Amino acid sequence: MTEQKRSVAIHVPVLARVEGEGALDLRIDDGDITQLRLRIFEPPRYFEKFLEGRHYSDIPDFVARICGICPVAYQVTAAQALEKLYGVELSPWARAMRRVFYCGEWIQSHSLHIHLLAAPDFFGCNSAIELAKIAPQEVRRGLRIQALGNELMDLFGARSVHPVGVRIGGFHGAPAPARVQAIREQLAAALPEAEALVRWAAGIAVPQDDQAFTSVALRHPDEYAIEHGAIGASDGLLIDAEAFDAHFAEHHEAHSTALFSHYHGQPYLVGPLARLNLNHGSLPEKVQTLLAESGIALPSRNLFHSLVARAIEILLALHEALRLLDDYRVPASPWVPVTPRAGVAIGCTEAPRGLLWHRYEMDAEGRVLNARIVPPTSQNQARIEEDLRLSLRSFGLDQSDDALRLHCEQVIRNYDPCISCATHFLRMHVKRG
Amino acid sequence: MSRVRILGIGSPAGDDQAGWLTVDALHAAGLEAVEIDKLDRPGASLIPLLAGVSRLILIDAMRGGGQAGDIRRFDQQDWPAYDQGLSSHGIGVLDALLLARELDALPPRIDLYGIEIGTACLSETATAPVRQAAGQLAGEIAASLALTLPSH
Repeated sequence: MTEQKRSVAIHVPVLARVEGEGALDLRIDDGDITQLRLRIFEPPRYFEKFLEGRHYSDIPDFVARICGICPVAYQVTAAQALEKLYGVELSPWARAMRRVFYCGEWIQSHSLHIHLLAAPDFFGCNSAIELAKIAPQEVRRGLRIQALGNELMDLFGARSVHPVGVRIGGFHGAPAPARVQAIREQLAAALPEAEALVRWAAGIAVPQDDQAFTSVALRHPDEYAIEHGAIGASDGLLIDAEAFDAHFAEHHEAHSTALFSHYHGQPYLVGPLARLNLNHGSLPEKVQTLLAESGIALPSRNLFHSLVARAIEILLALHEALRLLDDYRVPASPWVPVTPRAGVAIGCTEAPRGLLWHRYEMDAEGRVLNARIVPPTSQNQARIEEDLRLSLRSFGLDQSDDALRLHCEQVIRNYDPCISCATHFLRMHVKRG
Repeated sequence: MSRVRILGIGSPAGDDQAGWLTVDALHAAGLEAVEIDKLDRPGASLIPLLAGVSRLILIDAMRGGGQAGDIRRFDQQDWPAYDQGLSSHGIGVLDALLLARELDALPPRIDLYGIEIGTACLSETATAPVRQAAGQLAGEIAASLALTLPSH
């Protein structure tokens, strides 16, 4: 007797609990996946085109508008690129405060994702509101941590959404010591809360999954790379940001307005788990101890460990912000002067969702000739599709449609995709006869 | 001591300024005993703003099928049952208030107002019915505060 394998078509028209507009098409014929497409249909936003002709001094505020969740990543990456081109050496104060500013964004973005977007999946809840019914203390704690991240962003950016503090050469202003002291006290008080968060996150039962993939993240010899470093991969690659195009290639697929990225022709992972896989040895000792207690073996091949990776990075960011704000003093000037010159500016940092790469071709007056921005979600897009194929097979294609749909959504949310950041559009050349 | 907080939600785009115009009018009236803020899509960040507040007055633009300029006050029982997932950019005012309710973080009194708007488009000024409604609602709120605030 021949077993009849089932055929199903699952369409998730709008993905919930992700940033931006996307959908998923899955087709299973005779027990095998014949179509799997993560469709990103959010309209293209043309940010790179809008940047053309803009003065370098406008760029930080302009790119902050790309994302309401991770504006600091865009600002700091652009500033780093231009400062490199213009031969600017940041003051030690500005260098340290850029990292603190960035820590605020990691704390805020990761806490939002853990508590409001990802965790409900693991408790059988449809939303954070349902999760709050069964885990109110944990959700309250998550919101407190998120608010503290927002405050750190506000400290340097004057507001946490689309902040305006960064300028090429440093910051527009320096926060007053009294306010910094107040935030230091809050950061210190948040440490035990973040430790409890790590323990809670590590205790959440997640599906067992084991996949081979390449992790890609910035690496720095002295610290857990956030706002600077060289691009590293789990196969041993270590390159400057300038060599990105020699190893990574973007291409367009008809079903998505976001570009797909490959590393040496293969999908790859960026984001918290990729960073933790590559850089866990650079975590502060206290964070490493807690990580060891969690029992998670690194490098992890289970993307469901992304949630605990975010919790670990929140704790790291709190420690870093506290360390760097110790003995805070207002500098003589929060910025150094800049003289523009023509050339190509390339910058790379670790946005909350992963590697963020910028390239600007600038003219001698400091205006943008062209810009290219490679955000983390577009880099993860091919990996998400690959993960879905592998993960669904290991989950079992004979599961009910609802179970398959939920599993797919859960897999996608591990990546915290920021679809709004990722949308690009195919360049079009029109020939007219 | 009673602490009143007034939040106007909106954006600089045309009629979407309805909440901002209302709190601008209240601010101009010099209500010193209340905290007045203008917010643009606060998301979950709305929740910490509710801490220690005894009365929250929140004004937002709405599209509920009525005439532009209609003012509606929503009681908690009007808040619809929540049945959608949250997205990080889509945590609306009602989502945040519902989450706050689950966390016992709602102020004892909430006056939630919606001003019906036409099309939210990129325009510097709001349409006349919305401007008029914002002024009228500000007057009503000021009058209600005069009754409850000892300083008025």
